[in-house]
Amino acid sequence: MSQRSDAGLSRRRFLRNAGLAGLGVVGAGPLLNACATSASSGPVTQTGGAVTVQSNLSAPAAKSAIDALVTAFNDRGGASASVNTVASETFRTQLPSYLTSANPPDTYTWYPGSLLSGYAEKGLLLDVGDVWQTMGDYSEAFRTLSSDGKGKQIFVPTTYYWWGMFYRKSKFAEWGVTPPANWTEFLALCRTLQGKGIAPIGLGAGGNTPWIASGWFDYLDIRINGAQFHRDLLAGRKRFDDPKVKQVFATWMEALPYFDPSGTAVAFQDATTSLLQGRTGMLLIGAFFADSAPKDALGDIDFFQFPIVDPAVPVAEEGPTDGFFASARTPRKAEVAEFLTYAATAEGQDVYIKASTGTVLPTNPGAKDSGTGLVTKGRKLLQDAKELTQFFNRDSSDALQPTADSALVRFIQNPNEVDSILTDWQSAAEKIWNA
Amino acid sequence: MKLRRDIGFHAVAGTLSILWLLPIALVLLTAIRTFDDIASNGLGAMPSSFSLDSFGAAWHAGGQSRAMVNSLLVTVPTVVLSLALAAAAAFALSRYDIPFRRAIILLMLAGNLLPPQILLVPVSKLSELLGIYDTLPALIAVQVGFGLGFYTFVLQGFMWAIPDEIQQAATIDGAGVVTIFWRIILPMTRPALAALSALAFTWIFNDLLWAITVLRTGTVMPVTPALLGLQGQYVSNWNVIAAGSVIAAIPTVAVFLRFQKHFISGLAVGAVK
Repeated sequence: MSQRSDAGLSRRRFLRNAGLAGLGVVGAGPLLNACATSASSGPVTQTGGAVTVQSNLSAPAAKSAIDALVTAFNDRGGASASVNTVASETFRTQLPSYLTSANPPDTYTWYPGSLLSGYAEKGLLLDVGDVWQTMGDYSEAFRTLSSDGKGKQIFVPTTYYWWGMFYRKSKFAEWGVTPPANWTEFLALCRTLQGKGIAPIGLGAGGNTPWIASGWFDYLDIRINGAQFHRDLLAGRKRFDDPKVKQVFATWMEALPYFDPSGTAVAFQDATTSLLQGRTGMLLIGAFFADSAPKDALGDIDFFQFPIVDPAVPVAEEGPTDGFFASARTPRKAEVAEFLTYAATAEGQDVYIKASTGTVLPTNPGAKDSGTGLVTKGRKLLQDAKELTQFFNRDSSDALQPTADSALVRFIQNPNEVDSILTDWQSAAEKIWNA
Repeated sequence: MKLRRDIGFHAVAGTLSILWLLPIALVLLTAIRTFDDIASNGLGAMPSSFSLDSFGAAWHAGGQSRAMVNSLLVTVPTVVLSLALAAAAAFALSRYDIPFRRAIILLMLAGNLLPPQILLVPVSKLSELLGIYDTLPALIAVQVGFGLGFYTFVLQGFMWAIPDEIQQAATIDGAGVVTIFWRIILPMTRPALAALSALAFTWIFNDLLWAITVLRTGTVMPVTPALLGLQGQYVSNWNVIAAGSVIAAIPTVAVFLRFQKHFISGLAVGAVK
C-alpha cells in the first residue's frame, strides 16, 4: 500500500485530475444517453391522443383480429386508437403495475371476474356505464357479468367461446361410434374405445397447462350440483370437502380409468396432437382448440355437449367471455368510451371475428359469427343453456386456480386419496379467500 | 495405454457434446418444420416438412426485426457506458489510496449478492417518477446501474496486478492522472475489457426481467420479450418460436465467436491479485 502512495502524486494534483476525469465521464454519460433517446423517440411521448389498447392477444390469429378492429375504428374517423401487444404471461403479471402507474394505458383486453371487481374496489377502473347505454340489446347475463357487484359497469364484453368434448368425425366413423347423450352412454362409449386399444379421454394437464383439468371439475360440478352451487363453492360460501363435492369426484372416478395415462404429463398442445392422430378419442377443451389444429383437419373436427349426469339439474355450460376494461386514470375518457362503444357494436364484432380464426362468438346478438358448422353448433349450445359459467379461474380468481391445479392433478394420479385431497384443497383455498 | 485413454476421452467428451447439442438441434429442426406438421405429428416427431417460412414469420409478423434494433440500441450503449464508468472507477480504486477504498469495493461486491428480483417494484416506480418509464434510456440506466458493481470489481482486480514501475516511469516522464489512465492503464487492461464486453453483451442482450419491468409498449421491447410474445395465450406456433430463438441467438453467437479468445481467458480475469 505504501508503494502505491509513492507511485501516486501530490494529493492536490490527484484531486484536480480526478475531478477532471470525473467531469469527462459525467459529460460522456448524457451524450450517450442523448444518442439513445433520439434513436427511440417514438413511445417516449403519448402519441397524439390515440387510445392505447394494451392487449394480451399475442397469438398470431388473435393479434390480427384486434389489429383489424383498431384499423376499422381508426378508418371511420373520430377518435383513434393504437394496439400494444404484450405476451399474455407478461401481461398477467404486469397488470397491477400497469394500472397503478401514473400514466397507465387507456384500455385493456381481459375477462370479467373477481380480479376486476378487486381493482374496481380500489378505484382503478373506469365506470363504463355510458357505453352500456348503447348496449341495450345485450343479454342480462352479460350485463350482470360486467358489473362490479355494486351496480357499476366496469367491463365491455365483446366475444365469448364454448367448451365441449371435441373429437374427429373421421375417427368416430372409423371406430363405428356416435356421440353419447348422457353419462351412461358416455361411459359405454369409453369402454368401446378402450376395447379398440385407444385411450378414450385425452387431457393435456401437463407442462404449463395444468388448468385444463379444471374443465372437468367445473363441468362435473355444474352437471351434478348445478351452476349456483358451483359459484358459491368458488366464492368460498361452500366447502371443497362438502359431500356434494365428494359426489363430483365419485362420478369422475367412474371415468378415470378411461383417461389417457399421459394426461397429466403432456401439455394441451401435445394432447391435441394425440387426438388428431387418433391415439386418444375425445378431449374436453375450449373452442380455441381449433387454433392448434392443422388447417386440413379443421373440417373434420366436431364436438358434443358434456354428457348430462343428472337430468334434474338445469343445464349450464361454460361460456368464458372476453372483452375490454379501462383505466380510471385515463385522460381520454370520451375517446375510450368511443372505442369501447365501437367494439360492442355488431359492426366492430363482425370485423374482429372475420379477422380471427373464427371460433369465437360475438356477444352482440346482432353480430354474425363465422358461420361454420362448428361455430353455429357452439352458439346454439350456449343459447340453449339455462345458465352460463365462465371457467374456474374466472369464476373464482387466478390465485385460487393453482390450488385447483394441484388438487386435480393429484386426484387424477392418486384417486384413492380423494378425502385428504379435498381437505387439503379446502385449507389451501381458505388461505386465498381470507387473504 | 495412451491409446485406450484417448479412446476413453473421446467417447466421454463426444457423448457430452452430443447431449449438449441435442436441444439446439431440436430447436433448429423445429424451426424448419411447418405448423401443420407439428400440430399433426407432434413436437417430438421427425420432420416431414421443410420450410423456411417460420423465419420470415418471426422476423416480420413476429416483430423480431424491430425488437432486434431495440436490443442493439440498448446493448451497445450499455456495454460502452458501463465499461467506461467501471474502468474509471476501477482505476481510482486500484491505483490510488483513496479513502474508504476497501469499503467501496466491498459495497460493490455486496450489491452483486443482492437478488435483483427484490428491486423490481422500486425500479419500476422510480423510473416512472423520473419520467423515463417505458423508454429505452430507462432500460440502459438500469442495466448500467446493475452491471457497474461487478465490472468495477473485476477491472480493479485486473488493474491492481499491473506493475507499479510502469506507472512510476510514466509519472517521471511527466504524465498526469488522465494520461496515465488513458495511455498506460487502459491499453494494458484491454484483455479484461474485451472479455468483460463480450460477457456484458450476452448478459444484457439476453436479459428479460428488466426489460419487462421498465417497458410496456410492444414497439420498444427488445428481443427477449418479443420472443415471449410469440407464445399465444392458448396456442403457440412452436416453429415460429424456434425460428425466433435462432434469430435471437445470432448476435450473441457472433460476439462470442469474435471475442472467443478473450472470453475464455476472461474467465480467469481478476482471479489472481
